[in-house]
Amino acid sequence: MEELRQPIILSCVAAYMGLCIWVGIWAMRRTKSAGDFFVAGRGLGPVVVSLAVFSSTLSGFGFVGGPGLVYATGMSSIWMAVCSALGYATGFYLVAKRIRMVAEVRDTMSLPDVVFARYGSETARLLTAGTILLGVLGYLATQILAMALVLQSILSATEMFADISLLASVVVSSAVLIFYCVTGGILASVYTDLVQGIVMIVAGALVVITAASVFDGGFAEASSIMLANDGDDIMPFGTLGTMASLSWYFLFGLGLAGQPHVATKMMMNRNLADNRIILPMTVLGYVVAAMLWVSIGVIMRALVIGDIALPLGAADEAAPVFLSTYAHPLLAGIVFAGLFAAIMSTADGFLNIGAAAIIHDIPKAIRGRSLNNELFWARTATIVLSIVAASIALYSDKLVGLLGAFGWGTFAAALVPVVLIGLNWKGASARGAIVAIASSLAINFAIQLWQIEIPYKMSGGFLAMLTSMILFIVVSMMEKQKPLPKDIDRVMDL
Amino acid sequence: MKFLNSVQPIHVVLALLLVIAGITAFVLLSEPPAGATGVPHETIAGLSVGGDAGLTLEALGSAPFYFQIAVILLSGVLLYMGVAAHRRDHRLRLFFLLGIGFAIFSWVALFLTYELWVTSGKTTVFMGFPTPTNWMFWGIWGSFAAFDLFYVIFFRRYFLPPEDEQAFNDLMDEIKAEGGDA
Repeated sequence: MEELRQPIILSCVAAYMGLCIWVGIWAMRRTKSAGDFFVAGRGLGPVVVSLAVFSSTLSGFGFVGGPGLVYATGMSSIWMAVCSALGYATGFYLVAKRIRMVAEVRDTMSLPDVVFARYGSETARLLTAGTILLGVLGYLATQILAMALVLQSILSATEMFADISLLASVVVSSAVLIFYCVTGGILASVYTDLVQGIVMIVAGALVVITAASVFDGGFAEASSIMLANDGDDIMPFGTLGTMASLSWYFLFGLGLAGQPHVATKMMMNRNLADNRIILPMTVLGYVVAAMLWVSIGVIMRALVIGDIALPLGAADEAAPVFLSTYAHPLLAGIVFAGLFAAIMSTADGFLNIGAAAIIHDIPKAIRGRSLNNELFWARTATIVLSIVAASIALYSDKLVGLLGAFGWGTFAAALVPVVLIGLNWKGASARGAIVAIASSLAINFAIQLWQIEIPYKMSGGFLAMLTSMILFIVVSMMEKQKPLPKDIDRVMDL
Repeated sequence: MKFLNSVQPIHVVLALLLVIAGITAFVLLSEPPAGATGVPHETIAGLSVGGDAGLTLEALGSAPFYFQIAVILLSGVLLYMGVAAHRRDHRLRLFFLLGIGFAIFSWVALFLTYELWVTSGKTTVFMGFPTPTNWMFWGIWGSFAAFDLFYVIFFRRYFLPPEDEQAFNDLMDEIKAEGGDA
């Protein structure tokens, strides 16, 4: 079986990519308007939406970067995962119902549309769309790069593709992504998310079982090894300490509902009452898939720090090395497919909201109406956005670092006050929203641009989010409350 | 009493954000001891080990402890804002008190067992992980998972009661009849 490891892994990945292409062709026949392309005509069932929401949240970071961080710094990064119950609670208590109602009342296609409906400000719409575009470019570039690096590592282990370049890997992996996103829009995106979510759950569950059997004494033996050699690493704050961990908890726990690719999917369910089913399915899916993050990281660190395995060349190799050494070849194949699933499910969501920002939101904010023939331009914008992001990924390491770090923190800091608080507080004003978005962008950019080291490794995104939340409320309170449009006012009473 | 009655959840949110900002400012201004965010492993490249956790705790005092309590309270008030004002009854307030109480209890248990390990090196491994780490997994995650469960169980009472759903459908009918915004 061992000699078939590479062919099995390649077959799993190829089968997964083939499935994505098939879904793209299937969805193309059902995508007839820009509304279908961007919000699936608000006609999705609860299972599809819940798997789409969770698989978009857990990107390739959870499958590669997460285990790598646990290997390098112990449990510090797990605060990004244990906050998921809070993150989804805020999403569904504060955003899911209202955003879906606003979407139906105003026939919105994107988050900036919702922001405009709530605040009646084209500037707020433009800033939201601009924030989304900037964050999307960074996130997308890092996802494309991660996808290409994984594909290169799989293919280079075979004789036929031993010398495959990074450029070729970017082209192959991006081609599949672009194909199903362009042909099927959000419909292809959410149905591939459905497949991707299932693959991620299966992969997460199987990896935990495998990881628990690496040591005879299971995770207890791994913990004992770590306690004997360091101790801080297996304690809740890891080696980075309390404030780094707690700032991540704040940013990721309260910031999840501000992620535009997640919030947008909350507009797509067929019935408002489906939220009752979507929330628990999303939480459970995330928890099972995220177990991979904890288990691989802990086991690989215990193996290396306990002198049982050789040190890794880089922290991000934790998952690939674990899979190639300890997992059954079929499991390794499923998990590698799951890894592509995790990356693509996040990337396709970004492509969709990024294209909406370019052809729908920004033109609407500037000239009062979106482009003619939106469906054609949506497909064109998806291709252009992918090529730009792939070029950034290939040719500008610095820009990837800058924009990549910009991603989650930027979305959370800029959009949490505007969406999460603004949809639940009638006193929130357009000026408050504009100040919150602008200040969060300025702080995030300044921290990245000048490489500011924050004491105790607290998250820069946390500082930006805290500041923007305070400014949003204070600026709004300083203004006299303006009457809301009747429809929005009535929605906010429900 | 009149002042208390005029306090809205948004005022509490702002007050808690300012408390968090104050604690954050204190942390940013305090001098981090050497190795506060880990030190490189002596022989294994790319892997860090913990510094002197005791020194770090001493430098920060109770700041992380109160920081997280403020974050838990803030989370609770924000979630409370997600229930329409006319639906907030005593049962809801009781659940929120119990839920946030459990979250704070879990955090206190996590922090105290962690402090015990820092000062004495003693901990027990239970269900595969040390006690403080278990409090993180089951207490920190579990306390807000209880809010997720509450949403599912009381969905029709607090989050989308049939009369609210009907009111929304009525609004949609009005909009369609008018051919635009209501």
